[in-house]
Amino acid sequence: MLLTATAISAEAAQAAAAAAPRMDPLHHFQVIKYVEIAPLGLDISVSNSVLWMWISVAAVFAFFRYAMREPALVPGRLQSIAEAGYLFIRGIVDENIGHGGKPYFPMIFSLFFFVLFCNWTGLIPASFTATSQLIVTATLALGIFFLSIFLGFYKHGVKFLGFFVPSGLPVLLLPLMVPIEIISFLARPVSLSVRLFANMTAGHTVLGVLFFFSATLPWVGSWLPFGFSVVFTAVEIFIGFIQAYIFTILTCVYINDSLHLHH
Amino acid sequence: MISSAYAAAEGHAQSSGLPQFESSVFASQMFWTVVSFFVLMYLLNRYVIPAINDILDSRSKKIGEDIQQAEKSRVEAERVLANYRDQVERARQLTATTLDEARIEAAAIREQALAELNEELNKKKASAVEEIERTRIQAMEQVREAAVELAMLATEKLIAKTVTKPKAESMVKEALEHMEKNRIGMH
Repeated sequence: MLLTATAISAEAAQAAAAAAPRMDPLHHFQVIKYVEIAPLGLDISVSNSVLWMWISVAAVFAFFRYAMREPALVPGRLQSIAEAGYLFIRGIVDENIGHGGKPYFPMIFSLFFFVLFCNWTGLIPASFTATSQLIVTATLALGIFFLSIFLGFYKHGVKFLGFFVPSGLPVLLLPLMVPIEIISFLARPVSLSVRLFANMTAGHTVLGVLFFFSATLPWVGSWLPFGFSVVFTAVEIFIGFIQAYIFTILTCVYINDSLHLHH
Repeated sequence: MISSAYAAAEGHAQSSGLPQFESSVFASQMFWTVVSFFVLMYLLNRYVIPAINDILDSRSKKIGEDIQQAEKSRVEAERVLANYRDQVERARQLTATTLDEARIEAAAIREQALAELNEELNKKKASAVEEIERTRIQAMEQVREAAVELAMLATEKLIAKTVTKPKAESMVKEALEHMEKNRIGMH
């Protein structure tokens, strides 16, 4: 009797809990596989994350293609924006890599706009932020990390190892400094990927909480989180840009370190 | 029942971790990140970057050409201006020399005319003086003759006896000399 009562009450509580709106601001980071594809054991399933990556790629390309459809000496609005984006990245590359940075321009340019549009398309309601996935940012960061190692050894051979020995340091300090340098070097891809992923995740979590409250609170209370969510969306647009910018700048800095071995 | 509720709770607890750390979706996302990025890079590098490069290059070329053209025009304009100034200067000089020449010529002409006029006037004056002298002499002669005749007539009438002409002439001469003297004395 008692047992059944508690069972019923537990069941009722569970049902009530299920019926009530439950706050889960992390729900929209859930990767959902739409199509499972795994040829030869390699999982290349298409998920919402992958889909929005594609959409971002398509958006970048479509924007630039449309903006530059009829390049004119006197640019129109869209062409001006496209050229401004191009010159912005060229400025970053020139400033941070400088001499010999030209071959990396297409990569840096694509990287910036890939990250930027992944950040921005994630702000569309019901979309997915690919850059809020650690594995996505880590893939990019590791690619950059291995590229910088490859470039370092390709350009300087074994002398690249001198990168870990700060010049003008007393020999006594070397056993301390070299491990620190190596650790800081190895931390580069971690910080690069976690910075972007954490910023995106945090921003979207805050937005999720704000949206939850503005949707579930009675109208007297809902306007406040709703107003905040509007403001915070604008902040997120800015953060999306800033994070893409930082990601790009650091990429340039890492490539520069490998190309020009002054330390 | 309790166990089922427990299982549900456990399931809930499991899904409440960050979905980003669910390793089952890592491989596909890694693969597609790489593919998407390289596709984007290929597309941009193939279609977009060259277009922007071209237009920026042609614009800077155009600007350079325009500046060069403007520079050329400026030099040309300066040349034309210098040429024009030169012409004006030359014309001014020409005018000045012409004016000077004309002035000198005019002065010469005037001088000549004046000289001619003077000469003519002098000539006229001389002839006039001569004429006057001649006329005076003539007049004097006539007056003298008239006086002689008058004296002869007067004498004839007065003394009813003719005075011989030489006598009368000497008398008149005397009288005339007297008169002349008086005239000179009056001067």
